[in-house]
Amino acid sequence: MINELLKEGALILILASGVRLATPYLFAALGEMIGQRSGVLNLGVDGTMMLSAFTAFYVTFASGSLALGVLVGVLTGGLMGLIMAVVSVTMRAEQGISGIGLHLFGLGMSNLLFRLSLGAISTVEGFRPLSVPILSDLPVIGAVFFRHNVLVYLAFVLVPVAWVVLFRTPLGLKIRAVGENPQAADTLGVSVTGIRYLCVIIGGMMSGLAGTYLSIGLNNMYVDNITNGMGWIAVALVYFGRWHPWGVLAGSLLFSVVNALQIWVQVRGIAIPYEFAVMMPYVLTIVALAFAVRRAQQPAALSKPYERAEA
Amino acid sequence: MATARPGIITSLEMCGIVKRFPGVLANDGVDFDVRAGEVHALLGENGAGKSTLMKILYGLYQPDAGEILLNGRPLNIASPAQAIRLGIGMIHQHFMLIPPLTVAENVIIGLPSSRRIFVDTDRAARRISELADAYGLQVDPRAFVWQLAVGEQQRVEIIKALYRGADLLILDEPTAVLTPQEVDELFATLRQMKQNGHALIFITHKLHEVMAISDRVTVLRDGRVVGRVATQDTDEAALARMMVGRDVIRTWEKPAITPGQVLLSVEDLEAQSDKGTPALKRVSLEVREGEIVGIAGVSGNGQRELAEAITGLRPVTGGRVIIADRDVTNCSPAEVLAAGLSFIPEGRMTMGVIKEFSVWENAILETHAQPPLARGMFLDFKRIADHTRRLIGDYEVKTPSQETPVKNLSGGNIQKLILARELSRAPKVLVAAQPTRGVDVGATEYIHRRLIEQRSQGTATLLISEDLDEIMALSDRIAVMYEGQIMGVVRGDEASPEQLGLLMAGVRS
Amino acid sequence: MQKYAMFMFSVLLVAALLVACAPPTPVAPEKVRVALILPSTIDDLAWSQSMYEGVKAVQAELGEDRMEVTVTENLWNPVDAAAAIRDFAEQGYHLIIAHGAQYQNSLFEIAPDFPDTSFAYGTSFKTGDNIFAYDPQAQEGGYLLGIIAGMMTKTNKIGVVGPVEAGDAVKYNYGFVQGVASVNPDAEVSVTYTGSFGDTAGAGEMAKTHMDNGADFLTGTAQQAVGAIQAAKERGVPWLGSDMDQSVVWPDTVMAAQVYNWKEVVRRMVDARVEGKKGGEHLSLSFANGRLSLHFNDRFNIPADVKAKVETTLQAIKDGSLVVPLPSE
Ligand SMILES: Nc1ncnc2c1ncn2[C@@H]1O[C@H](COP(=O)(O)OP(=O)(O)OP(=O)(O)O)[C@@H](O)[C@H]1O
Ligand SMILES: [Mg+2]
Repeated sequence: MINELLKEGALILILASGVRLATPYLFAALGEMIGQRSGVLNLGVDGTMMLSAFTAFYVTFASGSLALGVLVGVLTGGLMGLIMAVVSVTMRAEQGISGIGLHLFGLGMSNLLFRLSLGAISTVEGFRPLSVPILSDLPVIGAVFFRHNVLVYLAFVLVPVAWVVLFRTPLGLKIRAVGENPQAADTLGVSVTGIRYLCVIIGGMMSGLAGTYLSIGLNNMYVDNITNGMGWIAVALVYFGRWHPWGVLAGSLLFSVVNALQIWVQVRGIAIPYEFAVMMPYVLTIVALAFAVRRAQQPAALSKPYERAEA
Repeated sequence: MATARPGIITSLEMCGIVKRFPGVLANDGVDFDVRAGEVHALLGENGAGKSTLMKILYGLYQPDAGEILLNGRPLNIASPAQAIRLGIGMIHQHFMLIPPLTVAENVIIGLPSSRRIFVDTDRAARRISELADAYGLQVDPRAFVWQLAVGEQQRVEIIKALYRGADLLILDEPTAVLTPQEVDELFATLRQMKQNGHALIFITHKLHEVMAISDRVTVLRDGRVVGRVATQDTDEAALARMMVGRDVIRTWEKPAITPGQVLLSVEDLEAQSDKGTPALKRVSLEVREGEIVGIAGVSGNGQRELAEAITGLRPVTGGRVIIADRDVTNCSPAEVLAAGLSFIPEGRMTMGVIKEFSVWENAILETHAQPPLARGMFLDFKRIADHTRRLIGDYEVKTPSQETPVKNLSGGNIQKLILARELSRAPKVLVAAQPTRGVDVGATEYIHRRLIEQRSQGTATLLISEDLDEIMALSDRIAVMYEGQIMGVVRGDEASPEQLGLLMAGVRS
Repeated sequence: MQKYAMFMFSVLLVAALLVACAPPTPVAPEKVRVALILPSTIDDLAWSQSMYEGVKAVQAELGEDRMEVTVTENLWNPVDAAAAIRDFAEQGYHLIIAHGAQYQNSLFEIAPDFPDTSFAYGTSFKTGDNIFAYDPQAQEGGYLLGIIAGMMTKTNKIGVVGPVEAGDAVKYNYGFVQGVASVNPDAEVSVTYTGSFGDTAGAGEMAKTHMDNGADFLTGTAQQAVGAIQAAKERGVPWLGSDMDQSVVWPDTVMAAQVYNWKEVVRRMVDARVEGKKGGEHLSLSFANGRLSLHFNDRFNIPADVKAKVETTLQAIKDGSLVVPLPSE
């Protein structure tokens, strides 16, 4: 098996597949990370992804325009984020519960809208792979990274963008301050509410992108429950990545590449029980987490509503 | 460039400020003012309404009535952001810092950057250094805040305000957690600021600090102004009288007691700090019946770890702890309490109370399962109410009701509540960590009297304090800690501040 | 004004509640009330949809006045389903179809409490006094489709995208592998599982990996398969379907499919009740009893010899001269 794996062809195949599979996790986990950095735990990722997957698909299906589909998918996610922000930031509801509520809303709403509008599985002509000139001709790297569709590129570009925003801009500083110590941020004239709204809405938009990618970038169709739990994995990857864009990237890639590897192992008929194969990504991710350097970095105010009078 | 823009605020007046909280009139028609180039001290008992008044000035609370005039013009301060724009800065009673961020990052949070969308930490670091030079606020802009000692964190707070161009600076109990040296450094900074034309409001419970730094003093009691004097026309005793409404005893005659058997014994104790470094290095110590042993030292030299190791809150990695002949090394806190220990912890908001719980719930935290407070499985609410009323009365805890959540009490009153609860259990051994930090003179007097009464009743007390005056006033013996070791033990009646100071600095005579 | 709005709102709310709780209109004794509990949805192009369409077809045949149908979807979890099953039984439904093997334990627990109610589930053969078990012989269709793939493959590589190694997926795959082997011993069939019935993205990725590996025929079962079919479509690789004929959605991709005719099964259960039998029957779906059928997609030019081979094999299966073996447990 190792010999086969080391053949360049197999490796490229697995890595390229891993990159495709990592994309929805990246979008969703980066978005969730930004929200959590501001102190809001949003467990509605999965439901948001489903609803956006549907709206993006439907608009693309009806209009034939992928760009419009992406736009609507992102806006749907933003709207879901707004709902979460109103409930958890303004009304200060328990975040875990509101997030689950949001998830259920997204789940039910996407099922309902699908039933009312399309009623049957249909497909669209989704995003086509787009080779990046020059880069796609690089050996190995080219095939692994530079022959995907634009949404894949966008997800990976958002990693450094998230890093720059969080760690190199005044906005990022405010976000981190609000997530660590909202009282302190408040005394410095930072609007805790404003920052949290912004982050949760951006997080929702990115969950929206994740769903959009599923329905018009990867599957090119919409089915009920299209995420099959991906949103929950994305939340876990935020913890895995220790609230850091590079960590989230590492987690998403690890999980997805191992997933691609186990698919490849099965396809090549290598004799291991399939149950073991499908468990591999989960097991390895947990093992990696156990061995990762332990330094608690959870935003100190995560999931705590902020109220000034308590100061 | 170093000095921001002093002079823009020439005067600030607060007239007839009223602020109500549920069940409390925190400010009841307060008049207050400060001018450029002066330090105006604000004094008052715990819960008198000092922090509330300042939070109104900083835009954190809106007053129910009253007016604020800046340079004679009335205005409304709706938010901290607006206060900052007006040139008002505030150092809060509890630090408002973000430990995982660097000093520079903490300073520039919320400010626009010279590099537009990117932060410019280099430039910020340069400006911080300039301010540091101008005001004697030495601190490394690139250090993480969690790495800093308390005194350094205080400097970061001041730099934060100066960086924003604060002309008027409110300092709410800035010295409560500082060592005497750090207080001296802070005062040097404040004098520099005064000279540069800043207006300063200074809140403290330490009267000698008021005398040392302020130009005028205003005293609040129960939300009302009860006096305003020029500092040069008054003295500490007069200020104490104004605050409490009676004379305050500030030095104590301790009855002579022959210490009895050893009740607390610590042998070769070793423990680690939160970061996993050795915090206690073979510490040995005995406290006898009817004896107060003081632990002096600059904060961070193992005092907190010592208290926690004794009380079962921190794993002991070597040595033994014995309470009244029972070996309680690495026992659970419940077992240690059962052995006859009472503990007044240092971080009163995090360890001594449950903030969300009411006064009565906090009053019975440890004894709720025993008669007379419980009957079988159930709580006896009548007895509990009586018990709580007695504690509140005896220890003068100021609270609107027994149902008030403890988080709404002022800091000093929380401390009194903890003390009341702990001493009401008639402990054999008492470990008191910083029992009067942030507590007003009246209450301090009260707490000291109680500690001495306990001593007369035979309690063995370990008193951990950074306040040398307190240590010297109460202790029969004083042990000085430095870097996790006991540098020396001196008799209380023979100790001098100079001698202790040298030991605290790690110099063995 | 606000008070008025509140009042109106309350009235509406109460009215809505009343409507929701209103007892079902009394039914004529001969009207049969059927409840259908589905692990996925009525449009999954697979297991659940095929059963749903079967039930609806019976209803169309009998007329809406003689048959009432209630459907609950997405009850994959047997615990949630158990609550629904009991609920339907209490509401007096006559026939409760819990469409999945995972509901077996719940049914056997609940059924004795409602002796007048009929319950049904599958894939299984274990019946009870008032429990029907149905059982598609999926290996038969698998075998036939395997013949097509085995004879037509050029790369001698064929991929199977399975959901979970259980139930009729195992039967189908086992038959498929044997079908291929019977006509082309050199062909490699790679049987893989996504580990989930609903992982469409995983199924799609699995199909892509099969194709990258050289497979020029793909097949698979359960609702996740649609992900794989779409992936096959995008690379022009033909798909062999099961449960339903998915060529409605993918006319250029689904070459042939084994179709479950649930209508006959449901009809039999309804009729059995009329005869006074509340359960106890093991209802097999096979080509011989017409409850399975094979659909060819006319858009594909399937060579005559392939079609002929499939036809003769189909006859052999029907008359019993060929029995497609099942994996020994
Ligand atoms: N957010 C709040 N909600 C309810 N009551 C409050 C709140 N903040 C303060 N109080 C009450 O208002 C009164 C004044 O409190 P304040 O914090 O201003 O006192 P202080 O003079 O600063 O006391 P200390 O010296 O202990 O800090 C106290 O009785 C306190 O319990
Ligand atoms: Mg205060």
